[in-house]
Amino acid sequence: MNDAHGNLTRRAWLAASGLAASALSAARVQAAPQAPARSAPAAPVAIAKVPNYDEDLVAQFRKMFDQVGGIQSQVQGKTVAIKVNLTGGNRFEGFTAGDTHWVHPKVVGAVTAVLGQLGAKRIRILESAGGRRPDTKLEDKLLQGGWDVAALRNAAPLVEFEDTNGLGFGKQYSTFKVRTKPYIFPAFQLNHSYEDCDFFVSLGKAKNHEEMGITMSIKNMFGVTPTALYGGRERIFHYGQVQAPSGATAEMDPGSNRYEGWRLPRILVDIIGARPIDLAINDAIISTVGGEGPWVLGARPIKPGLLVVGRNCVNTDAVTMATMGYNPRAGRHEAPYRLYKGPGNHPKEQLTPSDETFQYADNMMLLGEAVGLGSADLDKIDVRGVPIKDATFEFEAFWKNQMPKPA
Amino acid sequence: MIIQGAKRSCIFLLCLPAVLWGVNPVTPGSWIPARWPGGPLELECRTKAKTKAALTDPALREAIATWYDPATLRLLEGSPVNCLLLTWSAGADRRTEQRQQQLVKAYAAEAHARGIAVLGLIYPGADPSQFALPAADARLDGFVLDGQFPAGFNEQLAKAQTPSSSAVVIPIAAEAASIRSAGLPVFAVEGVPPSARNLSDMGIRGSPSSEPWIESNVWLVRSFRLASVWRPVWISYQPDRGTPEDYVRSVADSAVAGGRWIVALDDGLRAKLRLGEPAAVAAWRRIGAGLKFAEDHAEWRGFEPYGNLGVIVDTAAADREMADEYLKLVGRRQVPYRPIARSQLSPASLTGFRAVLATELDPPTAGERKLLAAFAENGGLVVAGPSWGNPPKDEPFAEMPLGKGRVTVYKDPNPENVARDMRDLLSHREAGVAAFNVPSVITYASRSGDGKRLLVQLLNYSEFPSTDITIRVIGNFKTARLFTPEGPPASLSMNRAEGQIDVTIPKLVLWGGLLLE
Repeated sequence: MNDAHGNLTRRAWLAASGLAASALSAARVQAAPQAPARSAPAAPVAIAKVPNYDEDLVAQFRKMFDQVGGIQSQVQGKTVAIKVNLTGGNRFEGFTAGDTHWVHPKVVGAVTAVLGQLGAKRIRILESAGGRRPDTKLEDKLLQGGWDVAALRNAAPLVEFEDTNGLGFGKQYSTFKVRTKPYIFPAFQLNHSYEDCDFFVSLGKAKNHEEMGITMSIKNMFGVTPTALYGGRERIFHYGQVQAPSGATAEMDPGSNRYEGWRLPRILVDIIGARPIDLAINDAIISTVGGEGPWVLGARPIKPGLLVVGRNCVNTDAVTMATMGYNPRAGRHEAPYRLYKGPGNHPKEQLTPSDETFQYADNMMLLGEAVGLGSADLDKIDVRGVPIKDATFEFEAFWKNQMPKPA
Repeated sequence: MIIQGAKRSCIFLLCLPAVLWGVNPVTPGSWIPARWPGGPLELECRTKAKTKAALTDPALREAIATWYDPATLRLLEGSPVNCLLLTWSAGADRRTEQRQQQLVKAYAAEAHARGIAVLGLIYPGADPSQFALPAADARLDGFVLDGQFPAGFNEQLAKAQTPSSSAVVIPIAAEAASIRSAGLPVFAVEGVPPSARNLSDMGIRGSPSSEPWIESNVWLVRSFRLASVWRPVWISYQPDRGTPEDYVRSVADSAVAGGRWIVALDDGLRAKLRLGEPAAVAAWRRIGAGLKFAEDHAEWRGFEPYGNLGVIVDTAAADREMADEYLKLVGRRQVPYRPIARSQLSPASLTGFRAVLATELDPPTAGERKLLAAFAENGGLVVAGPSWGNPPKDEPFAEMPLGKGRVTVYKDPNPENVARDMRDLLSHREAGVAAFNVPSVITYASRSGDGKRLLVQLLNYSEFPSTDITIRVIGNFKTARLFTPEGPPASLSMNRAEGQIDVTIPKLVLWGGLLLE
């Protein structure tokens, strides 16, 4: 029941997920990502050069959705959920959060508008707002970024918002079993809206990341885990210092490597194996280099002027990574996976991995490829729109001041 | 400045009737002060005190030396400034002091003729027996004590003054806690140059919830509102340099909560002003426009601070800096509060509050505990330190229901964490006013005595305009207008939902007052 792009359809996935538990393997090789699985699918990925957020993004996304094969048949009359990428509200001077380290509200508005034009019955904007306040709403988090929530609500016939950091409007968490071969967690408990949708979009910001090297549509999925259930994500997911609380599925091997650079990329692949992404979008019109936000020392704004869209998140992130000047098949000792994490903000053991000389993060695309989620091989991916060589903006060179800064 | 051992006599002096010499009819509460140093004594002080900018530039030396040419008074034409702080005494050799005082006497007469009050700047080393009588002769309206003076200084000054003298003495305190509960006609305290910087620019690795580091005096001014009545508060600091925006921000930073910055121009700007350079004149006019905006809305000073959170301030606490940190950081997190003096704590003093921050009560007395417990039982939130009892072992704080309300007990409270947590502990409905998209902005809410008008002032500490700010208020208001120094008030639309009103401010350049009526 694969679709045209090699992805399982939602119904097939739900049906298969009940069988996934029997496929679990307790012991995983604790090493660098493996050779690609023979079946890793490849779907078209569209690249566009977009100089700023004032361009006609609605027309741009309509074009890009067509370039990747069209999505109208999947969204017409359906409920579409969009997991948007937000994070801390701090700013680089002269930039909004949406410019540099959140997805931009105009990108979200345009995607929402296009989905509405294509006939989506209901569009839900999802993200963990993160607060403990009793009346926390996702809309308030958006206001913290200066978003025009009313305009976004009016971008399509029915637009809803839900803070998925907890139960939200649901009465219980939905259990998502990892239907690929799980690395660390065999299942996750998530807000109901990740299940109560027919088409799921991960709308990420393509930028560097202090601990993971890079973040795009796959890394964006880390925010689907509800801290109201799991507690702080660092303790349970990054470092594995605590085990899953009652009501949440435990990790398979508490004795496995606790280094976050090993652990977190695998958990992310488990998450997208549990809650597949139907459409991946990476916003890099403006972005951040050197870290995921202004709180990271050395991070600074960058203007790559890029949008990347694809039906397969591994393919899409691999192509996006290439447009950022990185090798999508890069290993631990290559940029952007060779890291230096701030000693003041990480446990001591996270600064000295037991299995490597230097700090690192594993390549989550290769990990996804290894379990058959998608290919990270550019030779196998049909890139449409602007060719990679014409779209590339070298993040690393910019960060090292080896290229002129754009105006 | 610290007046060691001299505080009581100083307060006694200041409690004398603040009636001036008859030269200047305005009262200290109406004074809009400007630091206006100059003359040979000021030059000598700058040379001796190497902490001040060395006046090696001949143009700067010339400007300072000749500042008391009556021509500089023309700068005040059209300016709201009506009180000048002139260099008077620093304990220099008699000849220099006499030259200085003769110069100032003539200048003061010119100033008085223009309706401007004149205060003598007294620096450490000055001898009251030498400077008090000449000051009476020059008909100075008072003294400003700027620096650290020896014990007994104020008594000496009282003795040295003529019995009929009613000259006001204004000490600039190094920290607010020492004078907050005193009965002074003007509270002057050292402040900080307002600014905002990202932590990463300071070499500090923050976290996603980090906000820019803002230096502000808004909390300092509001900390004097322990009583409901407004009292004149002067904030003192002298910038080495600054853009026109920096100066207007300084004016606003003190004025937002009802205080006044002692306007202090950097020497370079003064030198250029003296020469009439257009850019300097334009900067001076902008400062004047900022002062005028504050005075045009003098009524706002009479508004009472708004806040459903009460922060209990122990003016007798051993660690007064810690108490001040709570006032500073809770405000920084945009949680509107009103300070409550511990000495005034009573059932009546808690009326109208939804929550009380009581970590300063360490430990609370039996009476205080009973009072706060009753507050919680009636639906309030009490935030207490470990001495309340049953602090958590692992978590930073624990919430315990009590009657209709709750008590939050911290294991080891510190102002930074408690201030941050207050945003989560209080719902928007409980807080009453919430601000969105304001990382480089500080807000201050106040309301008219009849409660019909709610004012939220916003001050942007970034050099870039702040855009798309949303202010949420709980209440029923018909109109929302934004007042700024840039132009006439703008009516803003209100988005009403679930008993709350959201007002979006498209752009805030520097300072604005959102008035809901």
